[in-house]
Amino acid sequence: MVSIVKSTVLKAPVEAVWEVLRDFNGHDEWHPAVADSAIDRGWPSDKVGCVRRFHLADGSELCEQLLTLSDADMAFSYCLLETPVPLLNYVAHVRLAPVTDGDWTFWHWTCRFDTPAGREAELKTMVSENIYQGGFDAVRDFMGLETT
Amino acid sequence: MPRVYISSVIDAPAAKVWDRVRDFNALPRWHPRIRDSRIENGEPPDRVGCVRDFHLQNGDRIREKLLGLSDYDMFCTYAILESPMPLTDYVATLRLTPITDGDRTFAEWTAEFDCAEAEAEGLVAGIGENVFQAGFAALQRNLAT
Repeated sequence: MVSIVKSTVLKAPVEAVWEVLRDFNGHDEWHPAVADSAIDRGWPSDKVGCVRRFHLADGSELCEQLLTLSDADMAFSYCLLETPVPLLNYVAHVRLAPVTDGDWTFWHWTCRFDTPAGREAELKTMVSENIYQGGFDAVRDFMGLETT
Repeated sequence: MPRVYISSVIDAPAAKVWDRVRDFNALPRWHPRIRDSRIENGEPPDRVGCVRDFHLQNGDRIREKLLGLSDYDMFCTYAILESPMPLTDYVATLRLTPITDGDRTFAEWTAEFDCAEAEAEGLVAGIGENVFQAGFAALQRNLAT
């Protein structure tokens, strides 16, 4: 099982970052890897159990299900249901915390997944750099924040 | 139950910050408000259940008991046994989390306690500023790379 832990600090109040991240269907607005996204069955994007169906820039289609969402903890988790890339049993957790000293945001993004033997390193780098670190940088750009 | 929460970014790797703060007897070596400290009964400072007996710079004496220590999760939890502050059932946790983006440290310090309602605001502000924020500022000054 591959495990990834990535974290960063954004120079914005935690409420502002949470407003961007809590929309499970909003990632096509800010993530460069996501071309379009829609929630199945017209469910609201903050309904636990909803499924987002989205396409990457290369046209491949993925489905992810929202497993938990907490405004109290500013956290959510989700799993991959359908993917052309062999990320199996993929469950991810996103959590925000306030940096009270400076009114910034700490953003923690972790996941675990299985993958065919021999592809662990390649897929770990792809997820941690292209998706997670790329996501950090993209939200920073989207919100017009300076780097920290 | 009043709650204190202070968090900060320290510009040093988490392992380096943890190395400084995990020693339950080391407050005088990094916290500017603490004058001296000893562990009762000659116990090692990473023995869960040990008690530190220390003085602030103003002479106040405090005794605190180590309730939990994790090198894996980088946190320590402790309770106040004796202090001049008008509070009871004080339990605090100091926790570090690595910031992978830049190899820095996210530090959080929380406390919960009981006290008379009129004292709550002053205690929350005082502990937050003088103990937690002052401690993080000292770590940033001493360890930032």
